[in-house]
Amino acid sequence: MKLDELKQSFNSLWDSVADGWQRLRASAAGALTRFKPGEDARLPAKNEVDDDAYLPSHGWSMLGGDVFEDDRRLVVRLEVPGMEKEDFAIEVRDDALIVRGEKHFEREGTEGRWRVLQCAYGSFRRVVPLPVPVLADKAGASYRNGVLKIELPKATPGEPARLTIKVD
Amino acid sequence: MNEKTAVTKGSHTAAGEAALIPPVDVIEDSTGITLYADLPGVPKDKLNLQVEADSLTIEGEVGLTIPEGMEASHAEVSLPRFRRVFTLSKELDPAKVSAELKQGVLTLRIPKAEHAQPRRIEIKVD
Repeated sequence: MKLDELKQSFNSLWDSVADGWQRLRASAAGALTRFKPGEDARLPAKNEVDDDAYLPSHGWSMLGGDVFEDDRRLVVRLEVPGMEKEDFAIEVRDDALIVRGEKHFEREGTEGRWRVLQCAYGSFRRVVPLPVPVLADKAGASYRNGVLKIELPKATPGEPARLTIKVD
Repeated sequence: MNEKTAVTKGSHTAAGEAALIPPVDVIEDSTGITLYADLPGVPKDKLNLQVEADSLTIEGEVGLTIPEGMEASHAEVSLPRFRRVFTLSKELDPAKVSAELKQGVLTLRIPKAEHAQPRRIEIKVD
């Protein structure tokens, strides 16, 4: 039994369960994501920005994610505001969903002084473990209000697995 | 403009609920300030912008997170909120604020008041 599966199943014991619906929570540790600007990114240099915490080389951002499950499908929600639909690359593997993307720094009006620069820009990669096998070719994704939503039909429809832990 | 120190310790909405602090980018030029804030999941009708005296408050509530067709197991579901408060300097004109929300990014433009804008002085030479 993989550690991730065990973690997720353990979390779900404490969540309320209703017929055909069970919510899994992505591990919070996976939410802090690193963004790496590419060679052609036009981020301002450090001395052009008044924000002490700013670094043009890379940034970090909370890329919150949720995984929902019912008897037919998994739904993954990832919060990545400010992207264009075309800048996402989504890959489905046996046990994980891999979302890669690039958030461009496009700010018109280069005149002016940056006082605060906290948002993260550049390429990121987020891996979301999937508790059950899914049909990759039937998956669908949409991007709205800055949230990427990916729907994955289960390969074997059925109630979400429940893990019973015996206490000695 | 600067931030009220209370914000760095954790933000609370008017109702006393804890809220997330959204990251922002702020650029200032001679005509005003442009602010960008990451508010993923907040639809237009759940975004609240308020100016009171010299204080600008950005508040947003995330729209329903549970996908359609999936039932919530219990009626009360806690919705994440964003909140951030800024102090506006006197030279900004809050009455002329313009805002745009696109794919979870709020773009706020606050111009400087007329009297604070740089002015060219015409010199007449006889």
